[in-house]
Amino acid sequence: MITHILKLIWNKKGSNALMMLEIFLSFLVLFFVLAYVFFNLEKTSAPLGFATVDRWQVRVDDLSELDSISLLNTIQNLESNLLAMDEIEALSFAGEIGPFSGSMWSSGNDENGFNFNTLIVPADHTLDEALDMKMVEGRWFEEADANATFDPIIITKAFMDEYYPGKSMVDSTFIFNGTRKIIGVTEAYKYRGEFADVRPTLFVFKKPVENASSIVLKMKPGTPTSFEEKLSTVVNATTKKTGNIIENLEKERIADSRESWMIFIALLSVCGFLCINVALGLFGVLWYNINKRKAEIGLRQALGADGIDITKQFILEVMFVTVIALLIGVFFAIQVPLLKLTEYPNEMFYKAMLYASLIILTLVFICALFPSFQAAKITPANSLHED
Amino acid sequence: MIKLQNITKVYRTKTIETTALNNINLHVPKGEFLSIMGPSGCGKSTLLNIIGLLDEPSGGDILVDGFAIKKYASRATAKFRNEKLGFIFQSFHLIPDLNVIDNVELPLLYRNISGKERRALAAEALESVGLANRKSHFPSQLSGGQKQRVAIARAIVGKPNIILADEPTGNLDSVMGDEVMDILTRLNKDNETTIVMVTHDERMANKTHRLIRLYDGSQVA
Repeated sequence: MITHILKLIWNKKGSNALMMLEIFLSFLVLFFVLAYVFFNLEKTSAPLGFATVDRWQVRVDDLSELDSISLLNTIQNLESNLLAMDEIEALSFAGEIGPFSGSMWSSGNDENGFNFNTLIVPADHTLDEALDMKMVEGRWFEEADANATFDPIIITKAFMDEYYPGKSMVDSTFIFNGTRKIIGVTEAYKYRGEFADVRPTLFVFKKPVENASSIVLKMKPGTPTSFEEKLSTVVNATTKKTGNIIENLEKERIADSRESWMIFIALLSVCGFLCINVALGLFGVLWYNINKRKAEIGLRQALGADGIDITKQFILEVMFVTVIALLIGVFFAIQVPLLKLTEYPNEMFYKAMLYASLIILTLVFICALFPSFQAAKITPANSLHED
Repeated sequence: MIKLQNITKVYRTKTIETTALNNINLHVPKGEFLSIMGPSGCGKSTLLNIIGLLDEPSGGDILVDGFAIKKYASRATAKFRNEKLGFIFQSFHLIPDLNVIDNVELPLLYRNISGKERRALAAEALESVGLANRKSHFPSQLSGGQKQRVAIARAIVGKPNIILADEPTGNLDSVMGDEVMDILTRLNKDNETTIVMVTHDERMANKTHRLIRLYDGSQVA
């Protein structure tokens, strides 16, 4: 029966070509969209590395006109005034490169015997507490690190996995703008958002006064939004500035991800509509084909086919056409990972190929089911007479 | 071989009831070549469809080659049609997308027969109708007479006991019609195949063993 069906498909290649083209193009669209979605969803599955719930951030107005003593006094006052408030449990001066700030500092060199490139984040001794950052190994900065023989640095697990896979680097020296010492490894720090790439990241120690352009606050759970007013008053009074901005990190996280989610929803909606169109198109084509082939169905029944044979034949015909179209699609799609045409990991493309094929096969099977059942119900006497 | 008792067939719509066959009693013994004649719409094809288990009578009993039908749309009925009956139609009913030998093979697809054996049986059937050299042709490349010979080869490839022919010469000129009729007569003589043929052609009907006539759904002769 399989040879027979393949012969029928081959002999009707002209009329099958359009259906194959439709399936082939749908597969390619689904494949690329799914690869994009999988790749980005994979990023969200990697931990952010810090807490955002009950975390606020103050973007401090420009204090550059203050001399060093005034600046130091202002920062110390700010710290003590803020910590004096019951709603604030901890704070950290996070500098320009705070969570969701949009700023980025990256650098690298080959002085350690290999090339590296990393994101760099200046941080003070309390950022881990303010953001509940998890240490995988070693420790976070301490105030005393300001006077250490080697400037301390902390790296992320991604840094370690990239440049020192399987090794412990705590207490090792590392050359970066001079000789420094690695004192700890954090789980992650995707400060650029949930959809940011997981890149090696390195923390350099800064005193609060050197990192004062933003302050991360760990709030008491359930602190109401209305507290912003009181906070603003204190910050404005202490800094004698009115351009300080207060942000809620959880809201920032959601806002930051919204754009990516909107793109996903738009792409998946397009795919959804595409699938619906393909389904309707296929349904129509199959329905038309079966009506056109009523005499053939009647003939086959007269020659000994029963309902199951007829259903099986029509489903197999359309499934074979689909498989052929998918094989052509896979041939083109597989070039993307094989030729490494993008930076996406290969697994994403193989996964996307598999899912796109399964979606299309399921869709086609469902679309073929009803017309094929209807074909099996055609009575031979009528269908042979109609022709 | 074929026994029909009090067969009736009534087509019903919401407003009208049409009697296509009225109390038909018929016995066709093994090896008989029977022809059925009558004006258009008298129920000839309906009767043939009922004998071929393609249509369900509204009443009466039917026994074909010892098979008492219980359910029309069943695997057993389909299997019986496949093994015991061969069909020939006025409009040939060849599948245009299959070549001659693939068309002839069709009934064997529904049996557990290897591809090689199917091929051999189909070639043998084509040989017997004189079309061995047309195996790879498609129906569109054949004349009307050749198409009907392919249809006959398809009907006999499964070596059925009964052949049911619905106006097999109706679409053919007299020369081709005679050729087809000769093949049917030879099949009947050589293989003792029982043949029931519907025809409008008195000349063809006279070549068969027995002729029955229908008029308005009733047997009149």
